[in-house]
Amino acid sequence: MENNIEIKNVSKKYDKFELKNISFNVPKGVIVGLIGENGAGKTTTIKSILNIINFKGDIKIFGKDNKKYEKIIKQDIGVVLDDSFLSDYLDAKGIGKVMQSFYKNWNEKKYLEYLQKFNLPSNKMVKDFSSGMKMKLKIAAAISHSPKLLILDEPTSGLDPVVRNEILDIFREYMLEDEERSILMSTHITTDLEHISDYIVFINKGNIVFDMPTMDLLDNYGIAKCDEKNFEKINKDDYIKYRKEKYQYELLINNRGKFKSKYGNVNIDKASIEDIMLLNIKGEK
Amino acid sequence: MNNIKALIKKDLLNLASYKVSIIILFVGVCLCTLNTNVANLAPIVIITMVGMISLSTFSYDEISKAEKYLLAMPNTKEDMIKAKYILVIGLTVLGGVVAYFLTILLSYVMNKVNQNAAITIDYMSLLYTTIAGIFGIGLVESIQIPSIYKWGAEKGRVQMFILVFIIFLIIGVAAYFITKFGLDIDITSAIDKIKDYAVYILLVITAILYYISYKVAYKIYKKKEY
Repeated sequence: MENNIEIKNVSKKYDKFELKNISFNVPKGVIVGLIGENGAGKTTTIKSILNIINFKGDIKIFGKDNKKYEKIIKQDIGVVLDDSFLSDYLDAKGIGKVMQSFYKNWNEKKYLEYLQKFNLPSNKMVKDFSSGMKMKLKIAAAISHSPKLLILDEPTSGLDPVVRNEILDIFREYMLEDEERSILMSTHITTDLEHISDYIVFINKGNIVFDMPTMDLLDNYGIAKCDEKNFEKINKDDYIKYRKEKYQYELLINNRGKFKSKYGNVNIDKASIEDIMLLNIKGEK
Repeated sequence: MNNIKALIKKDLLNLASYKVSIIILFVGVCLCTLNTNVANLAPIVIITMVGMISLSTFSYDEISKAEKYLLAMPNTKEDMIKAKYILVIGLTVLGGVVAYFLTILLSYVMNKVNQNAAITIDYMSLLYTTIAGIFGIGLVESIQIPSIYKWGAEKGRVQMFILVFIIFLIIGVAAYFITKFGLDIDITSAIDKIKDYAVYILLVITAILYYISYKVAYKIYKKKEY
């Protein structure tokens, strides 16, 4: 499988945080979700991919070095950043006028169609938009030059479930237009990823905990619940992390079938991405 | 080059909301000064206003956190710095040109409307004032732009005043020691000697100031991370 992004041994050191030799790929035709708690390293990873910060290691986008071919590569990338945009003091029309000067493949007609489709007024200043409208405008601006790769940093944070769902639909449609396209989406709203992502990359304290297909994760991972007596009988190698609750123990396991056959008397539930993330971060071993 | 044009376009569109106020202010300033004995001051006031307005583009960027977004697009840090300097210098010079001709035009109109007005404009003097105005705001901008890149648009303004204070302090201390050690420097005769070349000297100094400022700003911005 060819990759749109290849990240190899990327490190970045700040005073109080370090991204430690992370490596993962974003293959063509897939949506990769980058998860982790706030400050885990998701945004630092995205900034490294976009070459906004200095970092150690190698990043290739469309097979090309992201520092050496920065300008060429970025012509085919669409970016949505949670906290940053072109200007709050332009209207949607003005945003389009500026964007078309940055991208060779900018399609003004397509952009205006998106504005109409998302019910965005073209003559209202961005600062007067609601959070949902602003995010939709950012997405319209990011996809109107038909990029091969979409990089999204927290695109659904602070939005209500209806708007979030609408935005996920936009991403689905974007992917359907061309099978070679990819999306790298960082978020801490993990339920969004259960609906849309093909792979999940989980970062914690600057390290990659796992990088695996979403289906495998949801099909195999589980939460085993038992009392103290049963917990003591369970082999440490058979679970990833555990957490002691008020009345029971919760164990994160990565093979429900195997665990069930070995410990038949223990209840096992399916694990959501949020459960997996929480137990990985808060659990003990 | 296309990127630089696009970045300038973004700033100009941001400033477009000022357009009516700018025209009213231009005409107002000219009319006010033409009614006094210091009609030549109009370009200085206008250039200062335009210079300050062009610097406000940094505040627009800061509010929207636009720099991070712009760097995520096909722009380099060099493009961003170049675009800002072209915009600021361009608007300052344009402000000077417009102020010069507007002062002449309005004085002509006022003399036609009111025969008793008798506003006389010395074109050369007006030109000198305009260039002096460009030099003055050029000096402020060349200090302020690197300050903004270092400390941000808000803090940068405060830091600029501190820098200007330090510069004046150095000049003051130098003057004190020159006097104390009895060095005989006749400033009046020195000015007389260079008077004929003053315009060219000011223009060259302004260009050098902007160049040094650009280099310093680029060095600061290159290290900046978002």
